[in-house]
Amino acid sequence: MGRAVAVVHLRSEVSDARHARVLETLTGLLPRVGVEGRGVFACDLRGTERLLGSPERVGARIVAVLERVRIPVAVGIAERPFAARVLAERAPVGEVSRLRPGEERMFLSRLPVGVLPLEEELREELGLLGIRTVGEFADLERGAVLDRFGRAAAAAHALARGEDAGEVRGAAPRRRIVAKRSWDAPIDRTDQLLFALRAALDDLGTELRMDGLAAMRLEARLEREDAAVLRLERLVLPPTAEPAALLRSLRWALEERPGREGLGLVTGVRIEATEVELVRGRQIGLFAADAAREEEAIAVARYLRSRLGPGAVLRPRVTDPESRVAEREVEWEEAVS
Amino acid sequence: MAIALTEAISRLEGRFGARTVVTATAADDRARTRRFATGTSFDRLSGGIEPGSAIALAGEGTCGKGTIALRAVAGAQQDGGMALWVDPSCSFDPLAAQRAGVDLARVLVVRARTNEAVLVAAGAGLRSEGFRLVVVDLGPAFAACASIDDLAPVLPQARGATAALLVVTDAPARRLALPTFRFERVAWEQRHGRTSGWAFAVRKVGDARDERAVLHASSLGRRIVDIGTRAALREAV
Repeated sequence: MGRAVAVVHLRSEVSDARHARVLETLTGLLPRVGVEGRGVFACDLRGTERLLGSPERVGARIVAVLERVRIPVAVGIAERPFAARVLAERAPVGEVSRLRPGEERMFLSRLPVGVLPLEEELREELGLLGIRTVGEFADLERGAVLDRFGRAAAAAHALARGEDAGEVRGAAPRRRIVAKRSWDAPIDRTDQLLFALRAALDDLGTELRMDGLAAMRLEARLEREDAAVLRLERLVLPPTAEPAALLRSLRWALEERPGREGLGLVTGVRIEATEVELVRGRQIGLFAADAAREEEAIAVARYLRSRLGPGAVLRPRVTDPESRVAEREVEWEEAVS
Repeated sequence: MAIALTEAISRLEGRFGARTVVTATAADDRARTRRFATGTSFDRLSGGIEPGSAIALAGEGTCGKGTIALRAVAGAQQDGGMALWVDPSCSFDPLAAQRAGVDLARVLVVRARTNEAVLVAAGAGLRSEGFRLVVVDLGPAFAACASIDDLAPVLPQARGATAALLVVTDAPARRLALPTFRFERVAWEQRHGRTSGWAFAVRKVGDARDERAVLHASSLGRRIVDIGTRAALREAV
């Protein structure tokens, strides 16, 4: 089998949960799956024929598996992701459509130029020039398109001519990074709880470091014997995998929780890093010991602004030190907007 | 055994602040933490300002406390650090700060208008690792919304923090045991019948040596002249 890409187009409502579910299902079925857009997934089928059968069979299997969990999709198969995507968008729900090698350019050429990723203004300009279909646009000279309309148009022109690289960029679904702890004896004091949370955060830090990640948002759910689950959410700035810094962040969350009602009897905790960032490129502290802390200072400014209101956290700037009018010497601006 | 240790540590941290109990390696690291200086004779009295410590500069209005505090901010910024200036009396003077060598882009000024807001701002600055110095300038006593004794809740947070706490106040603390430097104006300087500057002395309260640093602030050159400590002057004479 030559090159074949199956694009799965999710129909009906595209929620985060459904998007994640489809991605998880596809990565379980196929070796290389990329996300083309919200609810649109490209699967590279090269080398799968011997194990999984023909591309149509793979497409049918995808539709069947997702039908079982009541997620309606349509599948388009072509040599390149763009043509497969356009085909999938036009295919009826639950069907698998395929373009045979060599049919792509013909298929695309009849479609309106609007299927290409072009800006509205450019589309209108092409219309004024009498270019209304992908085929007419593809017939333009490559160099002329680049000179006159720029790079974005040249990239769309390559798609129209079937000259794009057409590779599927694999994206594995994000692993959930969670740490859990439960205690036989309930904890009712904040300082004891913080001490106990350290062990869970050590685990979370290890998990994050294994994937080269830093936590940017934490969610902690405290199970309580005598009350409902207490949910705490923290934005961690700068993102970090350091358990001590994560603990500090949770300490803040505990101290700043609305109403500051009693802690209750805490019997367990589940902490998840709900947003993460790659650690790579964040080693600024190696070169400027304290410059890396500026992000944290800004996070404090944001917090203080939320507590004290606008106009409370300011940064002064000397505009005209020689001015005779005192008001013109200095300007005060909000440290965070 | 482990539970007993956990409870003991959490009780100590609850009473004396976070990071009161640290491993020997961490304690050694802390001892080696760089102090920052004001670049004046004040450093001879204070030995430099150490992150994780709290000190107070006390004295009546216009006697040089603010000038030294601004010098401390400039010292804290020398390695790229940020400073938080809690300013309930709205008396932070950006021009004076710039003349003292402060990089205004790396100072956040918090206009805290109530006692509670002062505590929130100082506490937030000390708990984060974003700052090397947190200054609480309580302003003149007649207009102050908080007194130095009201800052008791934030002192445990200063211990072990990456920032130092510097409190600028008219009156020294009555109930808090806080290392305090007393500022006194020694003389006004006058030229052509107008006040053009003043000389002031600083001493550490409770220091057995009774050492003083003498400085001179001039509005003409808009600068501070470091005259030196008493011991250094004696040596020179």
